[in-house]
Amino acid sequence: MIIVAILAIAVLIIGIGIYNSLISKKNQVANAFSAIDVMLKKRFDLLPNLVETVKQYMEYEGDTLTKITELRGKALGTNVSESDKLALDQQIGSAVKGLMVSVENYPDLKANQNFLNLQSTWTESEEQIAAARRNYNSSVTTYNNAVMMFPGNMFAGMLGYQPIAVLETAEEERKNVSAKELFNN
Amino acid sequence: MSTNFTLPPAVQKVVAELEIQRKKIVSNKLQGWSFIVFGIICFVIGVVLGLAILAIVGFIIAIPGAIILFRIGESVSNYKSRFKQEVIGAALNSVDKSLTLDPNRGIVESEFTSSQLFTTSPDRYNTEDLISGKIDKTSFYFAEVHAEYKTEVQTKNGRQVTWHDILKGIIFTADFNKNFNGVTVVRPKNFGSKIGAWFSKNVYSFGDKNVVELENENFNKNFVIYSTDQIEARYILTPAMMEKINDLNQRSAYTISLSFIDTRMYIAFPLDKNYFEPPVFKTLLKPDLLDDDMSVLTFMYDIVRELDLNTRIWTKQ
Repeated sequence: MIIVAILAIAVLIIGIGIYNSLISKKNQVANAFSAIDVMLKKRFDLLPNLVETVKQYMEYEGDTLTKITELRGKALGTNVSESDKLALDQQIGSAVKGLMVSVENYPDLKANQNFLNLQSTWTESEEQIAAARRNYNSSVTTYNNAVMMFPGNMFAGMLGYQPIAVLETAEEERKNVSAKELFNN
Repeated sequence: MSTNFTLPPAVQKVVAELEIQRKKIVSNKLQGWSFIVFGIICFVIGVVLGLAILAIVGFIIAIPGAIILFRIGESVSNYKSRFKQEVIGAALNSVDKSLTLDPNRGIVESEFTSSQLFTTSPDRYNTEDLISGKIDKTSFYFAEVHAEYKTEVQTKNGRQVTWHDILKGIIFTADFNKNFNGVTVVRPKNFGSKIGAWFSKNVYSFGDKNVVELENENFNKNFVIYSTDQIEARYILTPAMMEKINDLNQRSAYTISLSFIDTRMYIAFPLDKNYFEPPVFKTLLKPDLLDDDMSVLTFMYDIVRELDLNTRIWTKQ
């Protein structure tokens, strides 16, 4: 009788453990996603400043600047899904990258301290977003493993938890950041 | 490992002088020890055969031996210090003019503890040979460290104290090229940390919540990563950085440990021998005299370049 009771308690404790573990992993995924969101917000906030600074010097890049401003407007708009926001961020990222390359044609801008600060903050935000995305993917993988493997899958079925897709890593993120590439084009 | 370092003529002259000093030290040591050994033999024979006079003579003979050994202590330390200042100093200069050596300083115990490279706090701590320099924007220093902890066991013959190494080797530290606020530690994977990491991954509310699971399999095979901030850990340990640390680890005989704290990075390299010391019983006049020291020196110096610490494209300048 006592053995049965002990076994029942043990099963109950293990069950609670697995259940809680699933919930915590699911929350972790949500948390990791909101971290990306915070980083994206920070990055988008840099744009008006960047556009303003660059505008004074760059005569021929008007189109790019308008495009960046537009994309930012879209990304910060209401009712933008998370995946759209990430896609917009990638577009903004490549537009800014193009802008940074054309900076080479404007020596005065290259010497502007404010611009240089913005440029390094931008690169930093890029690395931080890459880190946040990797963190998200790691949380998703842990969660997916828990949901798909025994015994977690039994509880996941009951809770209606489904595996989540990881974020694709953009080709640029896989590359090593190199100062040479960025500044000495 | 062989390095193609030849001493400049001025330093060769110093080495020749030091060789004379070394020979004198060796002969004094031999003299001192012969007195002592002979004295002890006489003393033992005297005691065994009950010849009090022989025992006393033996004791008296040993005294000058002890005095000689005591007096060459100063000469030995002068020899070592000249070797470090003038010979190792020249070697440092040949690598980079900014490098300086301070034989009597090192990485202080408080810095060793606050680096969080190791979880055990030392009971005995020794450090020497602080080498510092600056490459472009990155300042760095490294020093030899021997940190130990003790265990005590109660036996029937009293307490038995055993000393164990926490680290015997070199700690390298440099200003890191990115800003960060938390603490990230990369430690060699051992049995205990493996279990802790497994629990943190698989079982809720057990194990270490600070374990960071990274994507690089090779990196995960060798290290367990702990951090106060999961995202920051990935901001520091980018895929490129992990590869570089893997390479660095592969070239080190034992698994290295790293920590990122207070905008600095620390790396601990366990080593088998004490570097930057002159030989006493072997000649100084051999071509490979500085090979080992130089290979360690260039290894440390190259870290800044290999880990790309001079890439200052982020907000930290």
